[in-house]
Amino acid sequence: MKNFSKILSKKWGGLTLWGSLIFLLSFYPLTGASGIQLFTATQIFLWVILASNWNLIGGMTGYLDFGHAVFFGIGAYTMGILVTNSSLAFAPKLSFWQALPWTGISAVIFALLIGWATLRLKGAYFSIAMLSTFAATREIVRILRPLTGGGSGLDLPPVLNRPGEYYFMLITMAIVVSLMWWIRRSELGMSLVAIREDEVGAEMRGIDTTFHKLFAFAVAAFFTGICGAFWAWQNTYIDPDVVFFQNRNIIMIMMCMLGGLGTVWGPVIGAVLLYLLQDLIWSNLVDYHLLVLGVLLILLIMFIPYGILGALGNYDTASIVRIFKTSNKTKAKIK
Amino acid sequence: MPLLLGLFSVTAACSSKSSEISDKSTDTITIGAAVSDTGKYAREGKDTRQGYDLWQDWVNNEGGGIEVGDRNYKVEIIYYDDEGSPDTTARLVEKLITEDKVDFLLAPYSSGLTKSASAIAEKYDKIMASGGASSDSLFTRGFKNLFSVFTPAQYYTESILKALSTKGAKTIVVAYEDTEFPTNVAEGTEKWAEKYGMEVLAVETYPKDTADLSAITSKFKSLDPDVFIGGGHFNDALLFVRAAKEQNFNPRAMVLTVGASNPKFVEEMGEDSAYIFGPTQWESTMNYQGQYFGTSAEYAQKYQEKWGETPTYQAAGATAAALALHIAIDKADSLDTEAVRQAMKELDEETFFGPINFDETGKNIDKPMGTIQILDNQIQVVVPEEISLAQVNYPVPGWKEREDNDSVASNSN
Amino acid sequence: MTQLLQTLINGLLLGGFYAVMVLGFSVFWGVMGVINLAHGEFLMTGAYLAWLLFTSFSIDPFASLLLIMPIMFIVGFIMQKFLLNRLLERPSLATLLATFGISVILANIHKIIYSADPRNVPVSYSGSFELLGLSLPLVKSLIFVVALAIMLGLYLFLQYTRLGKAIRAAAQNKNAAKIVGIDIEQVYAITAGICIALTAAAGAIISPTQAIFPFMGQPFTLKAFTITVLGGLGQIPGALLGGMLLGMAEVMVATYVPGIGTNLGVVISLLVLILVLIFRPQGILTGLKRMPID
Repeated sequence: MKNFSKILSKKWGGLTLWGSLIFLLSFYPLTGASGIQLFTATQIFLWVILASNWNLIGGMTGYLDFGHAVFFGIGAYTMGILVTNSSLAFAPKLSFWQALPWTGISAVIFALLIGWATLRLKGAYFSIAMLSTFAATREIVRILRPLTGGGSGLDLPPVLNRPGEYYFMLITMAIVVSLMWWIRRSELGMSLVAIREDEVGAEMRGIDTTFHKLFAFAVAAFFTGICGAFWAWQNTYIDPDVVFFQNRNIIMIMMCMLGGLGTVWGPVIGAVLLYLLQDLIWSNLVDYHLLVLGVLLILLIMFIPYGILGALGNYDTASIVRIFKTSNKTKAKIK
Repeated sequence: MPLLLGLFSVTAACSSKSSEISDKSTDTITIGAAVSDTGKYAREGKDTRQGYDLWQDWVNNEGGGIEVGDRNYKVEIIYYDDEGSPDTTARLVEKLITEDKVDFLLAPYSSGLTKSASAIAEKYDKIMASGGASSDSLFTRGFKNLFSVFTPAQYYTESILKALSTKGAKTIVVAYEDTEFPTNVAEGTEKWAEKYGMEVLAVETYPKDTADLSAITSKFKSLDPDVFIGGGHFNDALLFVRAAKEQNFNPRAMVLTVGASNPKFVEEMGEDSAYIFGPTQWESTMNYQGQYFGTSAEYAQKYQEKWGETPTYQAAGATAAALALHIAIDKADSLDTEAVRQAMKELDEETFFGPINFDETGKNIDKPMGTIQILDNQIQVVVPEEISLAQVNYPVPGWKEREDNDSVASNSN
Repeated sequence: MTQLLQTLINGLLLGGFYAVMVLGFSVFWGVMGVINLAHGEFLMTGAYLAWLLFTSFSIDPFASLLLIMPIMFIVGFIMQKFLLNRLLERPSLATLLATFGISVILANIHKIIYSADPRNVPVSYSGSFELLGLSLPLVKSLIFVVALAIMLGLYLFLQYTRLGKAIRAAAQNKNAAKIVGIDIEQVYAITAGICIALTAAAGAIISPTQAIFPFMGQPFTLKAFTITVLGGLGQIPGALLGGMLLGMAEVMVATYVPGIGTNLGVVISLLVLILVLIFRPQGILTGLKRMPID
């Protein structure tokens, strides 16, 4: 396992591994995998994307977003409204591919509007503002009945294509995680980490913190919106409660915490592990899922706040350690 | 990373295991059902499952199987737990079809989950019989494989409004939870009110899990309507009664769309539940009967013997849905989806659950909605008259009058 | 006119409850600097305890405060001593995540024990009395009186007892308090105990007016946050003012907006919160200490 962590820490190691994995996974539907297996894999990809996006704002930038699923909902509803006979006079009925860019764009616009206001807040204030945004948006969607169908929700055309869905999510996941890898190593990523470590200091050193935070927020919102749109399409039915689902926030955070907050590969590992755990081990104990997650969260915070990768001493986690342990700076050895 | 691929194949291995159960060489019709065992619909899911199971037992033992052609088939239901989640439901229905290779499907409990499930059934062209969903939008999606025995939500208040209008009720107010099913009920209510010549004075919505409805009742109080129609869930029913009493709001008839027909309601509210009306899909005291389970009361007895509790309407609906499928297979004399679908559409049968007659879209158009009223702490069917034992009590006394009556009664004792 | 007066009364009664509901949250934050995201879940726990005592032993929810408060004091004390005190030296995100974890645990423990079905406490004295054409709901009026009594009690405790003074000292300047010999960790644990007891008491007293279910907590946490931000940190008059403002706003919107009033009433506190955070994150009033916005 230590070697594995070392490979991920090498400059090209992680990306090479990732590329090979995507390459292998692209053959999976050709091996005669059934619809249900493809569907399961697609769900895992979806969670990897969601966790990676949350990690960009929550882990790398250090703004714990307790309402990130709001972008999922915005994406899902944009898709729902555009592909059904909505009452929007100017919007014709679109196909999935025509509607898709708009779902991401609407999530970005929403993110810029809400982020402009909330990203000025620090720490817990931001977290709670986002939680409120999440809850408020759900209720507002309920009230906007002519547009959103209110509490009755919207029925999307039932077009199901498991291999197509599989490849769509696989490609999106490949793009998102590679993008995270690039961001983490770019000037942008360094600035984000600088903001997380010491926002005032970063600003004094000439980093345009507002721009960087908003940019990260918008990127995270874009792909979360795409995920929401995809989920809406695949589920063929949306209403405020299935789309703005509080547990989705909790699980996103848990996946990042488990894998390693602020790292590129942590959310990937966390998402896969947590999904498989839920699917295989706990499927008979559904009612206990969230209880176990809550206990796990507390244990992680108390004992391994930097997740699995952090416990293995991954390069990426070096600085995140300081978020949780101010006193122990020796752990932050950067090669 | 090989670890990851290994885990994928574990998932694959786990999911293919259960197909051994359905051995095709013996004559068995396999039927798949993803029903909640856990999650938010755990209780209704249990009723649904028990309803399906009662049918399965009855067919295999008393009924002696189903004759198709010259062969006799036993039935076997494969269950999975949908956890009350649309994701899981969709996945399990797909698994039932592609891996367990079931012949037919039975639907989960709740309209929301049925939406996810029926989309998959439609894609693979499998017939799905539902005894736990009544939202109208299930039937406007152009699906040809979903059939539901419940009276659709739009019709929930038809029979009671008709009865009240003949008693002289003129004005009505509506409050409903802003989710799918109550919305359908409310839309229907406005339609029926117009049809039966009543004026709708106000319509209010409220969100799910509302803690306090007194603002709505205080608004309605100033309108002084004849009929109040409200509700969404069991708990809203309690909140409405409480708020009405607290604000001294006295409609001449109070109709709560969900909850009133549940025996727990009388338990919780005691005397305050008196005179309340509630629509009901089915009660064991209804005067229905059919060829297969006999009368409603006989069905209830059978259920009681097997499960040691009285059947809820969810359980009865589940049995009726499976029964409809059974009759259709009988009539079609085939297991072919196309033939059975045709038979389902042509079905016109009296059963213990009421008449079952599906229209083109798959909803049951012949079954009228019953209405109960709580009289002397008893749930009594009052509408429609053909199947009821008690009379509609209208107008009902106000809160203060009841207190006065009580004190008069206690004084005279 | 009658309807306006009636609405004002309803708003006042709701506001009184909000004021007592927010105390535990506000003092917790003011003294220890910890935003307790499990606030609503502790309130829910109190409501469930009241329900349990009512259905099993027919103890009136208001009388059950005498039992519930000591029990929940111990729970709060233990939580602070063995979990949160250990995280205090770390940045606030750690305690935020920890209380978030506690909220998830509490809600789901209750779901497993009691199922997600809503529970009710049907006290016999529901109903109302009429006064000048207005109806005063009995239970809600009683809640209002009890809420005022609890607030007064807390005020006197913080102002005049030795322990209360130590708590205020710890809130104002932790290091100075240490120097004059106050055992900070102990004071923190006791404060947490008091806050959780107060929160559970708020849950117990509203149990007769609303449905009790495992996931009822989160709206209360968000409302508590709104009220604290409106009224100032750890301060009783501020809590009263913030509570009244929110209660009035909710009832006014619910009553005077036709059709979707009740829906809007739910959104209003969230919108107020977002607006206040954007335009005046330091709060409207200054409480025990300035809002730590940085």
